Amino acid sequence: MMAPLAWMIVLSLKENPESFKNFFSLIFSEFTLSNYISAFDSNNFLIFFWNSLFVALVVTIGNILLCFLVGYALARKEFFAKKAVFFSIIGVMIIPQHLIMIPLYRLIVNLGWMNSYLSLIIPWLITPFGIFLVKQFIESIPEEIEKAAKIDGAGYWKVLFKIIFPLSKPILTVLAIYTFLNTWNSFLFPFLFSNEEGIRTLPVHLAFFIGKQSIDLGNLMAGSSISALPILIIFIFFQKNIIKGLTAGALKE
Amino acid sequence: MKININKKEKYFIFILLLPWLLNLIVFWVYPLLYSIVLSFSDYSTLTNEIKFTGFKNYIKIFSDKAFYNSMINTLIFVVGTVPLTTAISMLLAVLLNSKSVKFKEFYKAAYFIPSVTSMVVVSILFSNLYSQAGYLNKICQMLSIPFPAKGFLQEPSTALFSIMAMDIWMAVGYYMVIFLAGLQAIPNDLYESAELNGASFFQKLFKITIPLLKNTFIFVIIINTIKSFQVFIEIFIMTKGGPLNSTNSLVYLVFQNAFEKTDMMGYASALGIIVFIIILIFSLVQMKLMKVK
Repeated sequence: MMAPLAWMIVLSLKENPESFKNFFSLIFSEFTLSNYISAFDSNNFLIFFWNSLFVALVVTIGNILLCFLVGYALARKEFFAKKAVFFSIIGVMIIPQHLIMIPLYRLIVNLGWMNSYLSLIIPWLITPFGIFLVKQFIESIPEEIEKAAKIDGAGYWKVLFKIIFPLSKPILTVLAIYTFLNTWNSFLFPFLFSNEEGIRTLPVHLAFFIGKQSIDLGNLMAGSSISALPILIIFIFFQKNIIKGLTAGALKE
Repeated sequence: MKININKKEKYFIFILLLPWLLNLIVFWVYPLLYSIVLSFSDYSTLTNEIKFTGFKNYIKIFSDKAFYNSMINTLIFVVGTVPLTTAISMLLAVLLNSKSVKFKEFYKAAYFIPSVTSMVVVSILFSNLYSQAGYLNKICQMLSIPFPAKGFLQEPSTALFSIMAMDIWMAVGYYMVIFLAGLQAIPNDLYESAELNGASFFQKLFKITIPLLKNTFIFVIIINTIKSFQVFIEIFIMTKGGPLNSTNSLVYLVFQNAFEKTDMMGYASALGIIVFIIILIFSLVQMKLMKVK
């Protein structure tokens, strides 16, 4: 199962891997970090890496905060058209990306957000799946805790951030990792919204890189490995949380 | 006094909901309505003019050969990947769930990692594996199995299946984890009493495990069908719909019309809506079929 990914790493550690006649001479040839060094030596690659990291971090922070607010309201408060709001969240979850691809592209052009971090961040700061996740979790927190705090005279915001927020930490961790993974790997919209090099994220850069006439295979695999690496590291540390997040929808069914 | 508190609470709730309401209206409702309007019109990029043309785009789609070609490719993709992915991931989950397997966590991680890797990275990697001088051709050569000399993705008869194989490889770990979660909910004494009565592995599988995993099956099949209908990135990276349109999918066709041709955005929007309706119909039919059982 891991063979293809291992192969990618092997190729990334060889100089001119395409020049080898067969598989064994390739495997037993010298390993080198030159592809990684040359990747990081080119200024642009650092920019793509930074773009990916910056966008993923901001989107993750946004989701933690905003999904928390909305999820809390849906779990605890009664308000006008609550059912409609909940329905809108479920509805948006089933809308495929390709359906809003064209109008969203037009919108970003009209807003003047092309080639800007704004287009990579603002539309994704809150996600229906995140709201749903938080709502389900907060509903399982006993309401008595909040009531006791209110009797003690705590205001709405104090209850929200001093009591509920810390209690929601497990689900917010899941949400954070899930959002980071998705944003880091996101391709279609970052691709559509950037036609200048400086704003590209790693996946977008890789897609342009393979479009070039002659490709340095070792370089390409080094770039691919670097863009897969943060995910592997996160996965090793947060395996349980990731699996929990990805199966949360399934378990609630 | 009481009215004052209520007002305060209403204001508080409104602030809480505001992020979602703004996002919903600006980035979902408005684009969706715009998409519907666009699908009934011709849009000229140069002059930025929208001309209403009624059902013209929709009628054109149903007489477009490219649409039927993409439809067939997408159906092959869905029908080929969904049952295989479901079966493999279920079997992997059952195997990993049995007590005799050691290093469970390691296997779980090894199978799961491809599904969290970026689709762009996986597509690039497999383009290389499938290429003329790639790893797969070399293995075929060593074992003297016939192989496409130009590479798996350059041959119309193998390209789509090669992408499907990659997708199955990538997805099984994810669905395996969902099946594992489902398996944990099955009480162990069911298996114990079956073992006492001398049930074999397959008897247990077909009489206990599969029937009790029904809800997980429904979820996995529906989610995977919806995802597979939208196959796009791997085609964009690996083949651009070629060779000879043998891998052109519905969503890739939408993309081509919208961004690679001029003044076809109206047509692309109509196509997008039709694809969405097809996905909806498929999901509803699946839900009906599986609930009836």
